[in-house]
Amino acid sequence: MTHLDLELKQIKQQVLEMMSLVRSQLAKGKDAVLTFDKDLVHEINANENRVNAMELNIDRDIENALALYTPVAVDLRFIMAAFKISADLERIADNAVGIAKYINSVDTQLAQKNLDKIRFTEMYENALLMLDNVYEAFEKEDTKLARQVFIKDVLLNEINTNAAYIAIELIHAKPEKIHNYLYLLSIIRKLERVGDLAKNIAEELIFYVEAKVLKHHPKETE
Amino acid sequence: MKNMTNAQKNKLIDNAFKVFGIACTFFGLIILAILIFNIVEVGLSRIDWDFIKDLPSRRAQKAGIYTALMGTVWILFLTAIIAFPIGVGAGIYLEEYGKKTKWASLLEINIANLAGVPSIIYGLLGLEIFVRIFGLGGSLLAGSLTLSLLILPIIIVSTREALKAVPSSIKDASVALGASKWQTIWNQTLPASIGGVLTGVILAISRAIGETAPLIVVGALAYVPFAPSSPMDEFTVMPIQIFNWVSRPQHEFAVNAAAAIIILLLFTFMMNGVAVYYRNKWQKKIKW
Amino acid sequence: MTGSEELIKEKKTIIEARNVNVFYGHFQALKDINIIMKENTVTAFIGPSGCGKSTFLRCFNRMNDYIEQFHIKGEILIDQKKIYWKSVAVEELRKEVGMVFQKPNPFPKSIFENVAYGLKIHGVKDKNFIEERVVKSLKDVALWDEVKDDLKKSALALSGGQQQRLCIARTLAVEPKIILMDEPTSALDPISTAKIEELLFDLKQKYTIVIVTHNMQQAARISDKTAFFYMGDLVEYDDTKTIFTNPKQEKTQNYITGRFG
Repeated sequence: MTHLDLELKQIKQQVLEMMSLVRSQLAKGKDAVLTFDKDLVHEINANENRVNAMELNIDRDIENALALYTPVAVDLRFIMAAFKISADLERIADNAVGIAKYINSVDTQLAQKNLDKIRFTEMYENALLMLDNVYEAFEKEDTKLARQVFIKDVLLNEINTNAAYIAIELIHAKPEKIHNYLYLLSIIRKLERVGDLAKNIAEELIFYVEAKVLKHHPKETE
Repeated sequence: MKNMTNAQKNKLIDNAFKVFGIACTFFGLIILAILIFNIVEVGLSRIDWDFIKDLPSRRAQKAGIYTALMGTVWILFLTAIIAFPIGVGAGIYLEEYGKKTKWASLLEINIANLAGVPSIIYGLLGLEIFVRIFGLGGSLLAGSLTLSLLILPIIIVSTREALKAVPSSIKDASVALGASKWQTIWNQTLPASIGGVLTGVILAISRAIGETAPLIVVGALAYVPFAPSSPMDEFTVMPIQIFNWVSRPQHEFAVNAAAAIIILLLFTFMMNGVAVYYRNKWQKKIKW
Repeated sequence: MTGSEELIKEKKTIIEARNVNVFYGHFQALKDINIIMKENTVTAFIGPSGCGKSTFLRCFNRMNDYIEQFHIKGEILIDQKKIYWKSVAVEELRKEVGMVFQKPNPFPKSIFENVAYGLKIHGVKDKNFIEERVVKSLKDVALWDEVKDDLKKSALALSGGQQQRLCIARTLAVEPKIILMDEPTSALDPISTAKIEELLFDLKQKYTIVIVTHNMQQAARISDKTAFFYMGDLVEYDDTKTIFTNPKQEKTQNYITGRFG
């Protein structure tokens, strides 16, 4: 095994660790919304620093690997992918923090039936599943699994589009709760962003493994 | 010895060998020095202008080396112009043109062996071919041709060594520019190796002037009344003159012999000096 | 970026190898090589030692002719002419196809004589013409400013990098169409190497360059096309960008990423 191999393996391990931390941040966000638990919000905020530190670590290691080993071909693609994936993960973590922060702004807990109506849980579970997919795909370099993410993203987009109409309905029914409903809609929007970012990660992964650029092209979803 | 460390033991052996080596070196030098001293002591006072320009005589006091000296100069000159082009040409052919076949390596071994053949054999060869078949008689030309044969192998081998020392990168560069083989040899290989070639030629010729046996066989005479004036003349050379004098019973002739030896030695030393000078000059000029 | 690759496709073919097999006695050094090289491009040959890349390079100016038991099958065409035909004058071929070697090998002569040598052996007598050409060649390799005052000095007094540029100037003086370079920078320091790489960019405008290199980064930096050789096979030949970002063959990938063996 070459020095570069060891270096790349370490970077991969770090990205995987960061992925699982970001996933747990996002999962805690969901629990926070559902249980209205402000302690969880604190926890998410505290962990955010760890996420940022991990991103800086990965950036530094990537910079070193580029400077010292001048990787080419598959190694270069891996490094480029890892660099972008860590940035995407950091933004997913930001979104998780954003979702959690709304708990502090909402005055009462969001009613379960309204959450169901707007398909909050379904969307959230789906987003988490996408992250699971990405994790496994990255670990095993499985592009077929990565492509699953594109299908799941379609569902996220659909829920997001419908959410606007549902929010209008809810506001019409109870105008005095407009505050809460707007926050709810914002959470949905953030989840949609998370979906996009997860999709980006899947694209980077496919670029790295197959050397195919999927970005800004119609997706192959086979 | 027993309580010495390994390093001390090695150092002792080291020093012992150094002393032995110095002894070996000086053994040869001392013998040579004694010889030269002996000869110089006996002969130096005999050398004067008359000794050089006088013809041989039966009376030791009046005898000079003129005819022998001129014979040696003639032999030197003729041998050089015969052996130089042939030897260098053959060397160039074998090194640059000759294909590396089985025949070529057989030829190579033979040439190397020829350098070791006793000179008397060359003399017999010269006697048969040049003196008898070509009908040259006991002339300077027959003698030079015989000596040329004798030193050809040395010139060929040393020419090849000198050519071999020219880095192939220089030849490659020339050939890659579109130079033909001859252009490359003439413009690059020969100029770069000329020092080595000349050194070899001079050393070979300085060996030739010391040769006695083949010339005696060919017919050089012990007594020649006049200095030769053309290649077809009869001749004698210094070593034969010396041999002749030494074999006489009178002490005066031995003195003459010593004096002639000094002159012959000067001759060879000078030629070797020129050879060394050329070698150093060219080695300094070209550093690969 | 795809633009420049399109441009290469439209250029004239200058070197073409058809089913080239090379043998040294019973050992086959090259196996069925087919390749096309275009005018005014830089092609890099890469591969581990003994893969046949240098042997192949030396086929283009027939420098292998003197090697014992060298034997070639197939055809090599330069400018549509078969160079291994009996009627081809090797000296004329080498005027068209110059070569620069691994170690700088200036002649033990003056700087001027080094550059003028090629012209002189090709029978040029006009002194003014020779002088003009020497100056131009030295300028082309960016050596003129460094040596213009000591053209009479021995070329061996120059530094290694200067010597190598002199060797390139010497090659340029006879105005070849193609310049073959056999690891031209492997004996040089990084600064001299960078200067020669810079030089290749300029030379590309007028000459076609084929370069053998062990330095992967160098191949990546300077060449338009890269050919990867392994054990006498031409494993992959493609645009340099493709070779270094997404090679098609696993062997190529293993070699360029340093995972060979």
